[in-house]
Amino acid sequence: MNTRYSDKNPLILRILGIAGKTVILGIACVFTAFPFLWMVLSSLKTKADILNTDVFFPPDPQWNNITSILFDSPIPKYIFNSMWVSLAIVALQIVTGAMLAYAIVFLKFRMRRVLFAVVMATYMLPVAATYIPSYIILADWGLLDSFGGLIISSTVSIFGIFLLRQAFMQIPKGLVEAARMDGASHWRALWEIVCPMTKSSFITFGLMNFIGTYNNYMWPSLITKTSDYFLVSQGLRAFFVRDGAYGTEWALVMAASAVVVIPLLVLFAFTQRWFINGIGGETGMKG
Amino acid sequence: MRNGAGIKRRFQKRYDKPPVVLLFVLPAFIPLIVFWIYPICRSIFLSFTNWDFISPTYKLVGLKNYLSLFRNPRFFEALWHTVVFTAGTLIPTIVLGLILALLLVKNFRGSGIMKFILFSPWITPTVAISIVWTWIFKADGGIANTILSALGASPLKWISSSDTAMLSVVIVTIWKSLGYAMIFYLSALEKVPGELYEAGALDGASKWRQFFDITLPSISPTTFFLMIITMVNSLQAYDQIQILTQGGPSGSTRTLLYMYYQLGFQEFNMGQATAVAVIMILLTVVLSVFQFKASEKWVHY
Repeated sequence: MNTRYSDKNPLILRILGIAGKTVILGIACVFTAFPFLWMVLSSLKTKADILNTDVFFPPDPQWNNITSILFDSPIPKYIFNSMWVSLAIVALQIVTGAMLAYAIVFLKFRMRRVLFAVVMATYMLPVAATYIPSYIILADWGLLDSFGGLIISSTVSIFGIFLLRQAFMQIPKGLVEAARMDGASHWRALWEIVCPMTKSSFITFGLMNFIGTYNNYMWPSLITKTSDYFLVSQGLRAFFVRDGAYGTEWALVMAASAVVVIPLLVLFAFTQRWFINGIGGETGMKG
Repeated sequence: MRNGAGIKRRFQKRYDKPPVVLLFVLPAFIPLIVFWIYPICRSIFLSFTNWDFISPTYKLVGLKNYLSLFRNPRFFEALWHTVVFTAGTLIPTIVLGLILALLLVKNFRGSGIMKFILFSPWITPTVAISIVWTWIFKADGGIANTILSALGASPLKWISSSDTAMLSVVIVTIWKSLGYAMIFYLSALEKVPGELYEAGALDGASKWRQFFDITLPSISPTTFFLMIITMVNSLQAYDQIQILTQGGPSGSTRTLLYMYYQLGFQEFNMGQATAVAVIMILLTVVLSVFQFKASEKWVHY
């Protein structure tokens, strides 16, 4: 009993263990990847093939389904909208979030703890509870159905404040104090000392919120009604309901989904480590 | 050294100048007030009125909105669906996420690509993948039923029957959030100190004992964090419901959030909609406080 379990195991048990592990992981991966695979396969089928359950692979790939989405549909416009609106929102969220997190960690003022408690409390509240009054505010300001309304209502990320605050806490206070002694302003201390030291948290914050905003659906769909201002999720849904007519054009609907989803998967392939290290490592409860 | 400590003490005593503090706090705090704190307060106020969104005036009606909700069977159905949906997504997500993380924590050939696959649903738009799942779940000609009949099972009506619609929405939600839980557990498992296992092995603890006595307590903060996050996400699930079922068939997937959406943005019954919102806030607060209290018993920091 004093040796390690795996050393004592007979070979047969170890082989069974590896087999079991492979089977479980295999099933999980197939289950996870299958909808993506099915989306791509379906997007290349003809109208007849897609309704024929005996046809798994498209016998005659219809690449023009994809090209018609890319060149003759509003989907690329929605992708473009989502792209630049998300970039604008994330840039604002990073600046406002970093400043507030800096204030909470490095500045000394009365109500500092209260301020952080308020931010944390809002982190858990259901955001949907704010939608009706926020909608009315945007209506009063004449910002419904506009990019301005989409951007201005999302300039703060509570998740981001929390993430940066956790990262800033790891920085020795003396570093910032020393910079201040040397005459650096708080603004410079934030961007030239604190920010480079917590670069990975900034990247994680940027990527996570970019994806979140890019994919966001409920709030944008409530405040925009004209297709010129649709973000990609709402645009795709409109395409699904109108052009897809809930099922007559399944191949085109799948092609549209593929055009939306695949660039994100590619982006993720290149940025995977920031997600995986970032969300696992730094937002995990540290206290 | 003495000098440094003196400077430090002097530094800690002094407050920063209010204009500097305001400059750093306000860019985030003003939007936070305008789009978070004020709207929450406003929602609470509106829930005591009979505002219909179109007319410029409204009356205070006291608890009428709440009372009519409590007399409405639709409300209790939605509450029940919220509980079923939350439990039905939270437990499998956490248990399966932990199992996958345990199997993937040691790197091997192909473990990187597996992590990539398992996490990928989380970064794709819920609307896009819900449309794909709508196609998969199609009652006649959908691939889900083709697979079921290939396995010898009888086909299901999935999202078009009130018996299976909730199950379908739950499957999609688990599919999407599984990788997220796995990633959190992976980094938590990597941080469990190896000496603990060596000590456990020396004491003659079996792998099972080690798992229950060492692993589970060590990762309990992550479990707690995931329970809160998954709960908050489930209470707010909207995208997949809107695409897959619109709350139907016959209200079988109408959660509180979806009821809020229908009351507010389809029926323009702002009083009742905000009353549902307030109940959702209370529910979140109560469940969070309950989880925090319970966590003192089983979470080890």
